[in-house]
Amino acid sequence: MKGVEILSRDGTARYGRFGVGEDTFIFPAAYQTTDLFPAISKRDLTNIPVLEDKEFVDRYLVRDGEEPVPLHIRADNEVPSGTTVITPNWHTLLTRPRDLCSFLDTLKSTIPPDTCWYLPGAALPENAAILVHAGFDLFDFIAVDLATAQGIFCLPDGRYPEKVMEEGLCSCNGCSSGNLLEHNRIALQQELAHISRRIRDGTFREYLDGRCRTKPEFVSIMRHLERSERMEQYTPVSRSGPFYATSGDSIHRVEVKRFADRLVDRYIPPVTDVAVLIPCSAKKPYSLSQSHRKFSQAIGRRAHELIMTSPLGLVPRDVELAYPAAAYDVPVTGYWDHEERYQITETLVRYFTRHPYRRVIAHLDGDARLIAQDAADKAGFELECTCQSERPTDHESLSALSQALSGERKIKSHLVRGMISFQFGYDLKAPNLEVKGSYPEQVVKRGRNLLFSTDPSHGLMRPTFDGWSLLETGYRVYIDDFVPQGDILAPGVMDADPVIRPGDEVLVIGDKAMTTGRAVMGADEMIRSSRGVAVRVRKVKKLEG
Amino acid sequence: MKPIKKPEDPLAIWNGQDRIADNILTSVTAIIRSGGCSWNRCKMCQYRHERFVGIETGELIRLMSAQLNKLEEEINKVKPQVIKLYTSGSFLDPAEVPSEIQDKVINLVKGKTLIVESRCDYINKDKLKMMVETLKEENDSADLFIAIGLETTSDIIREKCIDKGLLYSDFQKMTEVIHACGAKVKTYLLHKPPYLTESEAHSDMMKSIKEIIPISDLISMNPCTVQRNTHVESMWKQQAYRPPYLWSVASILAGSNAHVTCDPIGGGQTRGPHNCGRCDSVILDAIRDYNLSADRDLMQSVMEMDCSCKKEWEYIMSEEKSWTMPLTR
Repeated sequence: MKGVEILSRDGTARYGRFGVGEDTFIFPAAYQTTDLFPAISKRDLTNIPVLEDKEFVDRYLVRDGEEPVPLHIRADNEVPSGTTVITPNWHTLLTRPRDLCSFLDTLKSTIPPDTCWYLPGAALPENAAILVHAGFDLFDFIAVDLATAQGIFCLPDGRYPEKVMEEGLCSCNGCSSGNLLEHNRIALQQELAHISRRIRDGTFREYLDGRCRTKPEFVSIMRHLERSERMEQYTPVSRSGPFYATSGDSIHRVEVKRFADRLVDRYIPPVTDVAVLIPCSAKKPYSLSQSHRKFSQAIGRRAHELIMTSPLGLVPRDVELAYPAAAYDVPVTGYWDHEERYQITETLVRYFTRHPYRRVIAHLDGDARLIAQDAADKAGFELECTCQSERPTDHESLSALSQALSGERKIKSHLVRGMISFQFGYDLKAPNLEVKGSYPEQVVKRGRNLLFSTDPSHGLMRPTFDGWSLLETGYRVYIDDFVPQGDILAPGVMDADPVIRPGDEVLVIGDKAMTTGRAVMGADEMIRSSRGVAVRVRKVKKLEG
Repeated sequence: MKPIKKPEDPLAIWNGQDRIADNILTSVTAIIRSGGCSWNRCKMCQYRHERFVGIETGELIRLMSAQLNKLEEEINKVKPQVIKLYTSGSFLDPAEVPSEIQDKVINLVKGKTLIVESRCDYINKDKLKMMVETLKEENDSADLFIAIGLETTSDIIREKCIDKGLLYSDFQKMTEVIHACGAKVKTYLLHKPPYLTESEAHSDMMKSIKEIIPISDLISMNPCTVQRNTHVESMWKQQAYRPPYLWSVASILAGSNAHVTCDPIGGGQTRGPHNCGRCDSVILDAIRDYNLSADRDLMQSVMEMDCSCKKEWEYIMSEEKSWTMPLTR
């Protein structure tokens, strides 16, 4: 095989393969790179430090026309798709997380995504996960072999003196034969295999959250990346697995921020001016839980149900299926820490400022009520409290809630308009829609026409062609004049709506055909790549003429 | 710029012993402040900051003469066979060291061996002849050594890594001129300027030493040190530079077919040539002994020593590459 193909991605981490001559290799992985790329052994006297100035770089940067092509932050880096690139001496940036992340963002924005990134001399079992998360694919054994020469025993959780090898912390071939070099190499390879598996499972981010705790700079790198535009562009809009919010950093994940942003920027609430804040439930979607059945019964559709939760902040009932509202799990202690409180208060304030209500009832207990009160004070509205005890589900509280809503008018079902606005940023005002099925499996029809169906495992609405015809703009991918046979590949993509993220439902439009499907890549990647599946196709419709 | 403390004293002055042409001679070394190096560009050099700035020539002559008076006192006290006079630049550059001062020095050290440094640009035949004649007037064994910072015989390395503004061919021609005038050549080499791997730097020294043996009377190798306010210092702070291992220094001295002297400034410190901290002082002591004894076996025995950091050095020598360096601090 020639070139580079990304087969799976989880955020900015990628799993794929690259070709050297006749052979194909997978990544992320560590190789004896001097064997793979003989050219790098001939690059004597070509050193250019990472932070060297432009004049020096212009004068002394040597490109021999061979792979891996050296990149420099202050050079012109024009590299075609399919190339393996090297970031020389970037191991020295590991102690400068801010520079590392900003340099990577800059280079990654100019170099096609379907390139293989080789970071030399850096990979250890302890840092492999954060390096893959940063966007590196290819590594070598230089750092682990150096550790061997220094008598250091490497494990994913850190480094130990050589003699610890005898204590049974690892039982690889190297350890059983007392060969430190072999152990250290195996430990790195094993960690990278582990990472590869997690990327393909779509659970790499949760894995990283645990792995990066062993050194402050790893957490720094993760936090810098979390705030970058690149991470927003490459983080999937949904995953099929659970979303574990198990650390203080979870609250800063792209998915959490995106959820709150969409509530304010996209979401259209139902027509009512009464809202009830209720606590979340462990069971997802919430409405299938015992407690929520009780709340809904007491409310009797006379108010907009808003679920208060960490780390998402606020989940309106009608978008409770949206990712990650139906997929997240958090450690529940009843204690809300200050970062959580601050973030949730902020989300509530933004929401209620954007969507004002005549009445807001807090059917909450404990800390949750304090947070709601705080948000109400900041946003400047009155909060009515109906929870009579520490148990919002007890009879007294529920009847107080029901009592408080007496006289309020019932609101109409809002699932379709709510979900569509949240997912597509589009205000769907189609009359005569019927929602059928047993929740959360729902189909939306008009007459006999199927328009949308829910995909509860991903928390998305799937439009049919008829559904798409109601969504006039957005989430379009444009292809040339061909009829797709199978999936849409990146080279066939002419243009794409920049809001598209991996996992999004999209409508593919060409001169000869239209297809519905789900984006595998985000817009940036499908536009700038020359290889790989861009859209997984569901249905193809040939166009007349 | 801070006011200069004691402008009428030399920056440093000390006496000791030096090995010259297989003889151990007593010496006085003085570093005096001058008008400063006119080139003023080398990436590792801090000495270029040690200069008088913005003063008239008359005042420069007065301050330099005052420093020479201190040198004269030391000479009268120690009665050395050799005087080494360093100006942190070029002794023969009249803009840096006015001719009056140059003449005063020659007259001061008449009959003794004198070592001064200069860039090739300022060396001229007539001046050299006159200096040699004056020195030898009373004592024919008095020699004039012109010390030149060649740093390496590789033009590519000198240009990229040092920015010296000198070609090896110019140096070669100049050694002929110096010898023709009856003077001698001392050559400085710089071990491990920036941008070189440990092994590139090692090979560069081995090759340079081999090439200059026939045309150089004394060879002195300076392991690069991270001096303040230099380009090398900013690289070092950015983890882009590591001074050489003392293993490398010792290995070069042990493996060269000439007596190469070496004064590892800052030896054993993170800013200077260093190993792991445990074996540094033993190796530094051996290098100091070797400067006077020229006993190559001593350097060889250093290389037979063991320390836990030796494997690390061997690994660095074989695996550190220009695209992944420095691998250690």
